[in-house]
Amino acid sequence: MTRSLHCDVCVVGAGAGGAVLAAELAEGGARVVLLEQGPYHDADRFSARVPEMLADLYRDAGQTITLGNPPIVMPLGSGLGGTTLVNSGTCFRTPDSVLATWREQFDLQIDERELDRCFARVEEAISVGEVDARLAGRNAAVARRGAERLGWSHGYLRRNAKGCVGSGVCAFGCPTSAKQHTGITYVPRAREAGAEVITGATVQRIALRGGRFSHVEATTADGGGALEVHAEHVVLAAGTVHTPGLLAGSGLGLSCGQLGRNLSVHPATAVFALMDERVDMGHGVPQSFYVDEFADEGIMFEGIAGPPSYAAMSLPLSGERHAQAMERYPYLAQFGLMVSDSSRGSVHTLAGATAGRLPGVAGRALSRIGKAPIGQAPLIRYDLDDADLTRFRTGLRRLQELFEAAGAREVYLPLPEGVAPERAGRGDLRLMAFHPLGTARAHARAGEGVVDGDLALHGVEGVHVADGSVVPSSLGVNPQLTIMALATRLAFHLLGADVPGAGSGSGAGAGSGSEHVVEIHCPS
Amino acid sequence: MHPEGVRSALESFVAASPGPQRAGLRVLLAIGRRPRGAALLSRMPALAQVARSLLAMERYDQPALASALGFDAEQTAGRGRALRHAEGRP
Repeated sequence: MTRSLHCDVCVVGAGAGGAVLAAELAEGGARVVLLEQGPYHDADRFSARVPEMLADLYRDAGQTITLGNPPIVMPLGSGLGGTTLVNSGTCFRTPDSVLATWREQFDLQIDERELDRCFARVEEAISVGEVDARLAGRNAAVARRGAERLGWSHGYLRRNAKGCVGSGVCAFGCPTSAKQHTGITYVPRAREAGAEVITGATVQRIALRGGRFSHVEATTADGGGALEVHAEHVVLAAGTVHTPGLLAGSGLGLSCGQLGRNLSVHPATAVFALMDERVDMGHGVPQSFYVDEFADEGIMFEGIAGPPSYAAMSLPLSGERHAQAMERYPYLAQFGLMVSDSSRGSVHTLAGATAGRLPGVAGRALSRIGKAPIGQAPLIRYDLDDADLTRFRTGLRRLQELFEAAGAREVYLPLPEGVAPERAGRGDLRLMAFHPLGTARAHARAGEGVVDGDLALHGVEGVHVADGSVVPSSLGVNPQLTIMALATRLAFHLLGADVPGAGSGSGAGAGSGSEHVVEIHCPS
Repeated sequence: MHPEGVRSALESFVAASPGPQRAGLRVLLAIGRRPRGAALLSRMPALAQVARSLLAMERYDQPALASALGFDAEQTAGRGRALRHAEGRP
């Protein structure tokens, strides 16, 4: 039996984009249904134990892996809050240089005053503030000392945290609920304002009627059966890796040839150092400090740290050397290197590949496979290009310099023994990838992008996208604030209202002058 | 906190892995736990690295060992839980 729901807007995904939209729309008077594939996570079950939390809080236990040279692990959160549940909480506004690139290369005319109001609104909602130096931890103190001695630009990061006590396990479920992820900020607001929030809902298809959105078809967990959500609008916010499959599986967004392409990530690695002083990296805010001296070169250093099990997993040593270094765990420091990539990857699904592409029996058979879970699992292709490889070589050497300047006794680079950074090949690097963006990129022209500047799907009425997939270029900084601000902007555009804040109502808001304004006719 | 029938947190982790990786990880860990298996894996550096990383994560997740190194997961989670309840947080 199929259960039917009717609303103004159906939002798919409760991460950085979807949760924000659901709350803003519901508070603006729209009837909202928010569908989330993952579960609600009870913070009482957060154990601060790494393997257990990886299994519970991450999609595929954190083992989403790219295919390419080198293969890269790309951890993604699962559940209410999405990846905001498991990220480090670092908040940066979109750099001005990036906004300029969007204007010049993608013809996106984003009103910066309006975007500023969106940022301010989000920052207030999730309590963004600079890390208190007392909570930053001694791991940050080591990096700070190195940066000061070298004269490198640095500072404490801004994070979305309230009442943080430095538990040191941001990425494994904050036991204090200090990190203000969207699952405990925007989702409750959405509920409070009347939105229906359904977890365990896997969206199968976005259905159209007469060239415009009609309804969402989903299945629900625990025997809930099939679900149809009929609405005026659907906003997809399933994330950069999964939104392309949803669109392609519904036969949408394919005509421009850009869907699933242009994948940008922040490939990252980390360096350990053995210090003379006690560091206790498992205590304090793991990502509290940054060094941006080389940001213009696409190289950013940010703090990273964790409990012994986390350190043991990532320490680039083996055998007796690993055991000896782990005996000195309290004296180990670690810092991360993140690259603003020029490489571009792609996301594919069998579901997308078969959507209406092949006729006859073969097409029907492939279509069935495409609708099965394995056919919907995204395959991520990503190869590191020469420029990014050079950035890693340079970045690793500089991170070594940072630790040496801080007084490190030994520095452990994430490279095979005997390989110097300058000679490292792709296969020598141990990388993770964070912040995937761009697979349904925004571009003003229909032939160049999947969505337009208002995040509306080109050529179809009633379908929008509001997650990292619309962000058309690498940011060079953590993207959650950008995604949330763009979602806020879209919510007010859909409501036909100005984003509140200083300077609003000046004609710069959503409603004025945009050809894509869609006012939701909220019931009085 | 582990699902019934699951022996350890590492097994929960493997059980939550995507299907194609799950079987491979089980085989890899079974080999990596044996001294001769570890020697065999050393000929395949990428696989050896995965096995070593996971086994290291399991080993240092043991409360007694982690605690000796200055990190008490139970205490960390308990303190957070108490603060959260006291302040009425979600």
